[in-house]
Amino acid sequence: MKAELANRMVVALKNSGIDFISHVPETRLSEMLPLLKADDTFMLVPVASEAEAVGIAAGAALAGKRAAVYMEGTGVFVSAYNLLTVGIRYGVPMLLLVSYIGSVEDQRNTFLYSQYGCRMIPQLEALGIEYRIIEDGGNIGAKVSNAVRAMHALKQPVALLFTGEFTEAQ
Amino acid sequence: MDENLAQGLVHGLRAAGVDFITYLPETRLSQILPLLQNDSSFQLVPVGSEAEGVSIAAGAALGGKVVASYMEGTGVYVSCYNILTVGVRYGVPMLLLVSYVGSFEDHRNSFLYVQRGIKLIPQLEALDVQYQVIRNGERLEGKVKGAVRMMNALKQPVALLFTEDFTL
Amino acid sequence: MIRYECFEWLAPLMTDQLVVTSLSGQRVEWGHLSKREADLNLGSMGNALAVGIGLALALPQRKVFVFESDGSVLLSLFNLPTLANLNPPNMAVFVFDNQAYSGTRISYPSATAGKTDLAAVAKGSGIEHSVTVSALADFKKEATAALHDGGLRFVVCKIEESVGHRNITRSDVDLLETKYRFVRYLERTEGKPIFQGRG
Repeated sequence: MKAELANRMVVALKNSGIDFISHVPETRLSEMLPLLKADDTFMLVPVASEAEAVGIAAGAALAGKRAAVYMEGTGVFVSAYNLLTVGIRYGVPMLLLVSYIGSVEDQRNTFLYSQYGCRMIPQLEALGIEYRIIEDGGNIGAKVSNAVRAMHALKQPVALLFTGEFTEAQ
Repeated sequence: MDENLAQGLVHGLRAAGVDFITYLPETRLSQILPLLQNDSSFQLVPVGSEAEGVSIAAGAALGGKVVASYMEGTGVYVSCYNILTVGVRYGVPMLLLVSYVGSFEDHRNSFLYVQRGIKLIPQLEALDVQYQVIRNGERLEGKVKGAVRMMNALKQPVALLFTEDFTL
Repeated sequence: MIRYECFEWLAPLMTDQLVVTSLSGQRVEWGHLSKREADLNLGSMGNALAVGIGLALALPQRKVFVFESDGSVLLSLFNLPTLANLNPPNMAVFVFDNQAYSGTRISYPSATAGKTDLAAVAKGSGIEHSVTVSALADFKKEATAALHDGGLRFVVCKIEESVGHRNITRSDVDLLETKYRFVRYLERTEGKPIFQGRG
């Protein structure tokens, strides 16, 4: 995504109170990582699998952090067990920042990704996870803080799926 | 589960031509494991995660085996990335033998399992995996054969969810 | 060491060995240099090693090469103890470790850029022949042994984070096409049906 959008995204996360982000790097939203790293508001935890990213974020949330997990869409499938067991069943609030690869609006969609995109919403609905699709940066601050409010209200993971403008190359 | 039921299931798998099974042991159907181990029809592969259970089975299917992956219901969530990537997207036939923990008819259902049970069918449907629920030993061989015929016709994973009598 | 140079040397030496690749640049480079029916491009992370195990168990008479990346192996690290205990003697795993998630375009470091030594993890899991190579000559030695000798091998190849694969035109061969090409090749060379059922 473009640097300016990455910047606004990081500001939105900060303003919504997010202070802990576990992540597996991916290709669409990665431009926000250097910005998150350079900002000491965020405790940033790099991991190798989205399954552990969800577990770690849950632990941090139970210790008072406002936790987010940043992952590629594939990561929702990798971490489905963890989302269900520590997220939904245990009832732990966390924000899932998901690059919605393989979606119709994904500007870099190919046969490598399309299946993940097609199954993403059924997958989230199967787990009972509330989600919003975000296609452009308009009003991004409100969209992120709405999701954070919803996750605290529900005490469950809530997902934001980023596509469209967010999947454009830098 | 009852010894006769375990024998019936193993017989059904053999009769359906299944010859390669990956597994992570669990609590409901575990009586089939010694029977499978003692039967040279089956190549048995113990794994550390259902995720690799599915991918190893996919590799064996591409090498000409008629494969199954035996797991607890929780394993469907653990392996759903693998079911989607190498099973559904790549189109590889495999039989998922799933103990349907946390279902209504699970005789050992408790607050530990219930959430996994109630979400299991939506989870399989989200992945577009066909399934059947099996509650008792009635026409078991025919049901296993039907599932294997379906997976070979679809060239996709097909799941059998075992509950009720299988969870006693 | 440059991954493309490893492949350039190895590709012409391959005969009937099966090759499984995961995602990342190695998929693009190997696909560019080797157009064999015996190549199975999975196009996903975290699956190639396990699919390779399944192939090696189902076809013990065939040699199976798996080309992995550090990020992909780290995603499915539970494969290593399983591989060790199964110990298929017809399998060679080459992990091209550039210590980064290079697809991110921001060269984000992986755990192997930090304290993690994948060969040591494999060794600790019980894989006896687990080594790290960082020079082309050493890669050639390991690959030659994998081509000609038996025994499970796990070779971590430390490579530079080259981005040469971005200059290669991506293949338009769909995943299902790759699979069927591979399966029909095996049916022909093994003389047995792979998929069951007729129309």
